[in-house]
Amino acid sequence: MTATDRRPAAPRRVRRQPPRRRAGRAVLGVLTGLVLAAGAVAVQSLELTQEGKDAPLTFLGAKGEAVDAGRFSVRVLKVSSAKAVKGQGGDVPAEQLFLVVEAEATVSKEPVHLAPPTLLTADGKKFVATDKVDKSLTLANPWIQPGWWSRGKFVFEVPSSALPGAQAVFQLPVSGLYSEPLPPEAQIDLGIDEAAGKQLASTPADVVDLAEEK
Amino acid sequence: MTEPSGGSDKAKRPVAVPVIGLVALTAIGITVLLGGLDERPDSPPPQLKPGDSLDQGQFETQFVESKLTVERAKSPFTDDKRFVDVVFKVTNKTDETISVGSLPYDKSRGYSFGGSLLKMDPPIKSKYGPRMFVDSKGVESVQLHPAVPATVIARFELEGAARPPEQVTFDVGVYEKAENPLTGESLWLLPTEGGFLGKAETKEVAAKVTLPVKPEGA
Repeated sequence: MTATDRRPAAPRRVRRQPPRRRAGRAVLGVLTGLVLAAGAVAVQSLELTQEGKDAPLTFLGAKGEAVDAGRFSVRVLKVSSAKAVKGQGGDVPAEQLFLVVEAEATVSKEPVHLAPPTLLTADGKKFVATDKVDKSLTLANPWIQPGWWSRGKFVFEVPSSALPGAQAVFQLPVSGLYSEPLPPEAQIDLGIDEAAGKQLASTPADVVDLAEEK
Repeated sequence: MTEPSGGSDKAKRPVAVPVIGLVALTAIGITVLLGGLDERPDSPPPQLKPGDSLDQGQFETQFVESKLTVERAKSPFTDDKRFVDVVFKVTNKTDETISVGSLPYDKSRGYSFGGSLLKMDPPIKSKYGPRMFVDSKGVESVQLHPAVPATVIARFELEGAARPPEQVTFDVGVYEKAENPLTGESLWLLPTEGGFLGKAETKEVAAKVTLPVKPEGA
């Protein structure tokens, strides 16, 4: 009799336990799902913006250093200011102030041209090198070849307030139809502090000859 | 027939539907008679004079003047060239150097600052179309540097014995920044209107500027 009494009790216990386990598993499953979903959303937010994806790979450096941007290396040698530059068709006067950046460049493998560089100011403004000076007179003109440094000048036209903290950004020219992903660029601090900025703004050379060496 | 409360619900419905229908029909009829739901035409754009300024979103522009310019022949075998020059003082309000752009001409719609001069009246036609450049102490450029005011010249050549007009009027558009919500990229665009329901798409005219053409040397 005792056996028959226990029998119905035993299956009840067995039946009671599984629902608890199932409920526990369900809660655990939901939590895991939530954590995974939250993780997925969090990972999504780490994705680069379109601007970030389109941005070049920037190699930083300072004046006087050879900055290796992978496909090319640039070294900024000297920074000076001028009221006018001498081009092919005579003197070109500046509306504001010409900032003449003397630089040299080389490549490790394939010859390249440099594009006219951009001056990145401390407040984030971007000045493209002036087009008043013919490109053929600047370092954008010669092929940059492996084995030696090609030297030349670039000319920016900027207000004198843009000088302190300015950096020059050198890039390769962009071809018209297809723009390569992650193009290299060398961003070089020109080492102009407040005092040097004032010096450049107050004592510009009358004329800088672009053809002249050094 | 004599159901005091229960029947009233049923009796209302058949009346309400035709009444609403009739009211709606009358309303539609009146709307049609008054000219439909077309938008009221916008108030005409403001008229600007020489010396006036306009905030064009991407640019701050002052409309300086319009004048006749003659480029003297450099050799006895060429003729003098005559131009109608329209002079602007343009400040690039963005953070980077941009091109001054080109004027709309023929099938080209123009771009950048030039593209915002939507229409010219009277149009001056020439073989190669108008030019647009920045004049800086006699040196030409196409760059508008950030926050630096520049003198921009739109140059229309007068061919042969063509007479310069008394005055020129430009329809001017204003650039708006449009952001792509998916990528976060932003673009400066000229807002347009129309372009659907059979209406031609036209750029919105924010202002009209009329400049008398000054004679040479004035």
